[in-house]
Amino acid sequence: MIELKEISKTYKRPTGEPVVALNDVSLHVESGEFVAIVGASGSGKSTLMNILGLLDLPTAGRYSWNGQDVTTLDANRQAEMRNKKIGFIFQSFHLLPRTTALENVELPLLYSDRKSIKDLSRRALDAVNLTDRIHHRPSELSGGQQQRVAIARALVNEPDLLLADEPTGNLDRASALEIVSTFRSLNRAGRTIVLITHDQEIASFAGRIVKLEGGRMVGDERVTASTAVTQEAQ
Amino acid sequence: MKNARLARHSLRMMSRYKVRTGFMMLGSVIGIAGLTFVIAVGQSAQRKILKTVGQMFGDSGIVIHDGGGQMMGGPHGPGTRLKIDDIAAIAKEVPGIEAWDPMQTITASVRHGDSTDNAAVFGESERWPQVWNRTASRGDLFDETAVTGSARVAIIGETVAKALFGSDDPLGADIQIGSVPFKVIGVLEAWGTDPHGMDRDNEVIVPISTLMRRLTNVDTISAAKLVVTDAGRSDEMKAEMKRILRERHGLTSGQPSDFSIITATEIRRMVAQVQRVLFFYLPLVAVIVLVVGGIVSASLMLASVNERIAEIGLRRAIGARSQDIRLQFLLETTITMLAGGVGGVIFGYAVAQLGATRMHLDGVNPWMAALLGVAASSLVGLLAGVLPALRAARLHPAEALR
Repeated sequence: MIELKEISKTYKRPTGEPVVALNDVSLHVESGEFVAIVGASGSGKSTLMNILGLLDLPTAGRYSWNGQDVTTLDANRQAEMRNKKIGFIFQSFHLLPRTTALENVELPLLYSDRKSIKDLSRRALDAVNLTDRIHHRPSELSGGQQQRVAIARALVNEPDLLLADEPTGNLDRASALEIVSTFRSLNRAGRTIVLITHDQEIASFAGRIVKLEGGRMVGDERVTASTAVTQEAQ
Repeated sequence: MKNARLARHSLRMMSRYKVRTGFMMLGSVIGIAGLTFVIAVGQSAQRKILKTVGQMFGDSGIVIHDGGGQMMGGPHGPGTRLKIDDIAAIAKEVPGIEAWDPMQTITASVRHGDSTDNAAVFGESERWPQVWNRTASRGDLFDETAVTGSARVAIIGETVAKALFGSDDPLGADIQIGSVPFKVIGVLEAWGTDPHGMDRDNEVIVPISTLMRRLTNVDTISAAKLVVTDAGRSDEMKAEMKRILRERHGLTSGQPSDFSIITATEIRRMVAQVQRVLFFYLPLVAVIVLVVGGIVSASLMLASVNERIAEIGLRRAIGARSQDIRLQFLLETTITMLAGGVGGVIFGYAVAQLGATRMHLDGVNPWMAALLGVAASSLVGLLAGVLPALRAARLHPAEALR
């Protein structure tokens, strides 16, 4: 479904040498896959996430969706892609304060040209088991619940790809496991997920683990079903 | 559809940040209140001035004052030389004078029984109603016989009537002006308060001959008003009158005049000058306040953009185009300034109404001011919103999310 081919990203700096954040990364993600991208900080995984999410453009290489190069689309078409095809989940949730869970989930619908938006947000909140919290504000929810609101928001426009950037980074262990198992069940239901993390254990829930180091891809392996099952049993 | 959704959403978000929105509103509230106040009071003052000028000069009046001096209301030089004969001579020699009325005035205590009132007493000729365009609302006016015979008859103003008689009928009653008894024959039609705050209903009109002989014992007059047939010629007529008066008073070319002449035309020119102040400089001050308010709102909005960088990043990530972000911030400032403008119009109007009462102006009309105020505040809102909105729209999504 999505394909990165020899992607590089170099940041120019006003003083000193330019920084190479990504160097020749090639990655192919099929529809229905659950891919974890792991790496230490500075490995380029956030840059990769920005490029995958069309929030930033690579300096070299080709990024295509179903064969179509998306890096050459104009800014408005890219915004439309983010709205329709990609659902974002962030480490710090990025929920609007003083705004109910339901309204937070409705936010992407604001920027879509869908005619009927009724019930979509409720259904998304149902999907993450927050039916009884729809009128709560972020400050009234636990970290895990806030992240589930964010997942519902990512799901509301029925995107092809879920992009999660360190989604468990601000959560305790129990909530973190709860969030990854939510991802797992979403994946079972057919959702394509790319999860970026530095946490090996969280990564092992994925079906495939891609390793980044110093901006280069250093590993790409499938996780056997048995490992995953063992993880889930814990 | 999409923009309407966005507008509703913006409104909801603003209502959740009441303090921020309130401070942004403040600038336009004050600016628009100032603008509304200035326009409303200015219009009312203009009407008042025009009305008074109309009452005093009509369309074609010329007023000759005893004593020199240049400006109406300015200092008059000493002079006790203007006489009825002078005016009669002018009326005879200068063509185009329709009617004229000499006037002598003193302030005196007016009594009836135990009640006293300090009033302006005017001695006038029988042509006074026609020349000054005034009349009695009740009772009679005096005629030529009363003036030649120095009759002790008086027409009193509403304020005098109230002070001396309360709710009783003053017609036919005896009053004393100074120590001289007069008979009340009429009550003046109400006039109101002049721009100096003088109650023009606290007046008594008596025949000028009676006032001269019985009360003041002088034969000079304070002023005279002449009504001319062609106001367009009033400048020439004024020069002619000046020549006749100087000749009659035996003034040589180096000596200043001991009288002053003001024409309706001159007064209209003066009023036009006052109007320029009322309708240019005062609104200019209000506009400056509004601009300052706009700058305050713009800087608050810029601060708000900085505070909301993460929110902007999120919105970009979930599909907002940069024009959607721009629209949202523009909407926020414009709606805030508009709401502030409406508040300012109400506030400014209330203050104007209060001020108008204290300045003895008639009711102020808010429509013109309201229209201008709301238009100005939306314009300032739009201008104040452009810079922050462009800044917000230009933020790079990946950097905003960092």
